[in-house]
Amino acid sequence: MPIHEKSLIRPENLVEHEHLVIEGVDVSGHWSTFIEGRSITDYNEAMQEEIAALPGGENIHRCWQCGSCTNACTVNAVNPEFNPRYWIYLIRLGMEEELLRDKDIIWQCVSCNKCTYACPRDVVPEAVMKATAHWLELKGHTPKSNSTIFDEGFASQVIKTGKIEDGLVLRDYFKATGQSLTQPWLVAMVTGLIKRFPVTYLMKLGIATVFPDKTRKWSKSRAAITEYVEECEAANRKALGLDAKGTH
Amino acid sequence: MSKPVLIIGGGPAGLSAAHALAAAGRKSILVEKEDRLGGAPILSGYAKLVPSHEWAKDAIGAMVTRVYPNPNVDVRLNTSVQKFDGTPGNFVATLKDGTQIEAETAIMATGFTHFDSINKPEWGFGTYPDVVTTTQVEQMISSGKGVRCPSDGRVPDRVAILLCVGSRDRQIGREWCSKICCTVSANIAMEIREELPNTNVYIYYMDIRTFGLYEGEFYWESQEKYKVKYIKARIAEVTSDGKRLLVKGEDTLIKRPVSIPFDMVVHAVGMDPNVDNMTLSSVFDVKLNRWGYIDRANTYTTLAQTSRPGVYVCGSASGPETIDDSIAQGHAAAMAAMTFQNAKVTEAAE
Ligand SMILES: Cc1cc2nc3c(=O)[nH]c(=O)nc-3n(C[C@H](O)[C@H](O)[C@H](O)COP(=O)(O)OP(=O)(O)OC[C@H]3O[C@@H](n4cnc5c(N)ncnc54)[C@H](O)[C@@H]3O)c2cc1C
Ligand code: SF4
Ligand code: SF4
Ligand code: SF4
Repeated sequence: MPIHEKSLIRPENLVEHEHLVIEGVDVSGHWSTFIEGRSITDYNEAMQEEIAALPGGENIHRCWQCGSCTNACTVNAVNPEFNPRYWIYLIRLGMEEELLRDKDIIWQCVSCNKCTYACPRDVVPEAVMKATAHWLELKGHTPKSNSTIFDEGFASQVIKTGKIEDGLVLRDYFKATGQSLTQPWLVAMVTGLIKRFPVTYLMKLGIATVFPDKTRKWSKSRAAITEYVEECEAANRKALGLDAKGTH
Repeated sequence: MSKPVLIIGGGPAGLSAAHALAAAGRKSILVEKEDRLGGAPILSGYAKLVPSHEWAKDAIGAMVTRVYPNPNVDVRLNTSVQKFDGTPGNFVATLKDGTQIEAETAIMATGFTHFDSINKPEWGFGTYPDVVTTTQVEQMISSGKGVRCPSDGRVPDRVAILLCVGSRDRQIGREWCSKICCTVSANIAMEIREELPNTNVYIYYMDIRTFGLYEGEFYWESQEKYKVKYIKARIAEVTSDGKRLLVKGEDTLIKRPVSIPFDMVVHAVGMDPNVDNMTLSSVFDVKLNRWGYIDRANTYTTLAQTSRPGVYVCGSASGPETIDDSIAQGHAAAMAAMTFQNAKVTEAAE
């Protein structure tokens, strides 16, 4: 019999056999439709530990599921599917498949920290959301988010030169995310600036763009920072059972 | 010279009453049906107690040595009261061997009986050897043998503790909360995690009742320090897949059925009324309350008074109680017994 209320069932749980004959009766196609069990059959105990090992995830085991974070959440107000309380629960019990269903919205946290102020157990849900998004990326479940790409570009420039050149940050970011450099808002902003800035200042800016400035005697700091960053990244990857280098 | 006070039951409540009377210079006769004093914590071999973390044999053991031996306390082991006659101030109790004891007043400190998990067959006790009770786990810890699966002695990878077994269950006529089992379970979970750091412990609950200061030290600490996981679900059944136990229920926070493999399932058993209560009620002519515990006549003026003048009650004989509260009530009963004569005089004067 065809199932009429299919909308109530998760599509992946509906199974049909294209060719199936039972006791001489052909029940191929929708005649053999059945629904797979929705019961949770195991806990993945590594999951909480992995996320707890990433920066921001440290306090996740404190959560007692009161829901204050979700109630306070800015993003939840516009998208009820965005539910930090629920994700924290899934992580704590290791319900990975369930979490992955929401992988494309978890990164949408705007870091407003309203949840952090509401949480009675000092879980810092905002930081847990960050750690979770990070975990999803490291595990390869989600591509690098634009904000990660931006952060990486920004950080790599600081590490390299000890300085920030806004124009370069933007150009690199647009390139890495496949966006056009001639974004209307950017063009409007730049032409606005050019109109208002004194000529000498503009010349300085131009020179800086062509010959990027460097912080003097930066190389020692650079080496130290690079070493520290590599250490942290290796530790994160190790906690997740990934190889140290970043390919998996 | 006033007659002694008869105390029935040598658990924390009875020991506390005997000590209070002795300290005030009053004689008492302590009648205990088992061969030892100490009550449930000693007879059932509890491990570390809530909230002191002291070993039961040390903490309760110290209560025992205060009154036994003690010139003011006459301890009679392996016996019970068969007959109890007379009037307040002039009671006569007949023990099993026919001995007669004269007493001015009596204090019933007869305690509780552990819920027998056999009465909840759906949770697998008696069917699967690795389904055990909190009492058994207490014994595994206090004996020094450690927490192991009874079936083959292996270290469990994963332990489930089911709360409210034999409590809060109208199906089996138990409409009370046993008060201490949430905290005891949190404590046991921490002890397991301490002994076996690779063993994960899950607690299935309907509500968590780690009241008062137990909240921080047991509920929070078990999560924050020992990473014990709490799941809001009342388990429907415990079965087996042939290798491990299967714990089935609904995870109410995600509205999904769960069927999770475990190596060991622990029943947090409740505190039933003492199985002797029907007999005690008829021997001492005291009323039981509607749950089967010894009824208290009044809460605020005469805390320890039963329905029969001159007969007092303390501890878990009158309902689920913690050790601390049983001790406090033991003192209250001793005070009531000591002031019995004065009370009579005052009443007469009124
Ligand atoms: C698994 C478990 C763990 C617990 N752990 C803790 C804990 O850590 N901390 C805490 O505060 N509480 C704990 N409790 C509760 C604790 O056991 C009780 O609070 C305490 O035992 C009550 O003391 P009691 O003297 O009233 O009764 P009992 O300890 O039951 O003592 C009653 C005594 O009376 C005797 N007796 C009974 N009937 C008769 C009779 N007819 N004639 C003569 N003698 C009789 C019994 O043999 C017994 O010695 C726990 C309970 C359970 C089930
Ligand atoms: S920080 Fe993120 S999770 Fe927290 S309230 Fe803001 S948007 Fe929601
Ligand atoms: S507010 Fe804190 S304790 Fe409450 S559900 Fe959110 S993270 Fe958990
Ligand atoms: S103390 Fe906890 S486990 Fe015990 S009966 Fe009450 S709610 Fe249930």
